[in-house]
Amino acid sequence: MTETEAIRLFKCLSDKSRLQILKSLMIEDMYVERLAERLGLTPPTVSFHLKKLTEANIVTSYKSQYYMMYRLNREIFETSILEILEEKSDDADIQEQRDEEYRQKVIDTFFIYGKLKSIPSQIKKERIVLEVIAESFEFDRIYTEKEVNLMIADFYDDFCTIRRDMVAEKLLARNAAGYWRIKTV
Amino acid sequence: MNEKIKHMNQFFDNQIQLCRQQEKNLQEDDRRDEANFQKIKANVYDIFKTILTVAQKVGNGNSQSIKQFFWAKTEQIPASWKAAYEAAKLHDDTENMVVEMIKLDTIQEIRDEFLTCWEEIK
Repeated sequence: MTETEAIRLFKCLSDKSRLQILKSLMIEDMYVERLAERLGLTPPTVSFHLKKLTEANIVTSYKSQYYMMYRLNREIFETSILEILEEKSDDADIQEQRDEEYRQKVIDTFFIYGKLKSIPSQIKKERIVLEVIAESFEFDRIYTEKEVNLMIADFYDDFCTIRRDMVAEKLLARNAAGYWRIKTV
Repeated sequence: MNEKIKHMNQFFDNQIQLCRQQEKNLQEDDRRDEANFQKIKANVYDIFKTILTVAQKVGNGNSQSIKQFFWAKTEQIPASWKAAYEAAKLHDDTENMVVEMIKLDTIQEIRDEFLTCWEEIK
């Protein structure tokens, strides 16, 4: 378990309602309404907590007839806290994790359900946003300007600015034939 | 007229106080996310308490004008919450669905209280 995963696990567990949900799931697999009734919480609140527990890989779900059942991921609790503390992580790994967390934070801030909310004013953040958009382009394929515009318009209305910035950032290249995605190292 | 405003302000103050107390209790009980839900509710009451003050100024003592202004805001402002809820539902985003639903439930409660107050209090 990486440090980031351990922190996410502990953060998720440091909530009484979530601990009570887990205690209930220790007894048997349950669905939202059953958990809500048992714990005196509203079903939306239980769903909210289950989503967090699922994201931290503490709980998994499966469908059974009409119900979505939730199950405790017992494997995650087989790792002892000592094992987590003993795990060594080198500086490169830590830096990589930090970079990835930063990148994810920028994506979460500027995108909502796959749509760009606004163009970041900071160059570093805009670069990340442009990289995300660039991922929708295939390598080794020439796109017409119209195709590029349409693809960018799926993310953001001002496709001209984004297209120009992608070229400036060397994510896309262009010549008379059209545009293509540049492979970054 | 003054009695209606007084009643609504009393309602907002009570609800805000209740939410803050519940928020405190939940924080102490290590239920931070649920405490945050109470904070969201309190914010909605607070926003509409302010809107009632504005409605009072705009309406200049006219009960019907105050009602129209306030009622229009209870429709306008939650429109974006409804849209956000629908978008969250479409993307199976439980966290945002819960947050938007809390706001929508709270505004419904405010609308019910406002209607009762404006119809029943002379």
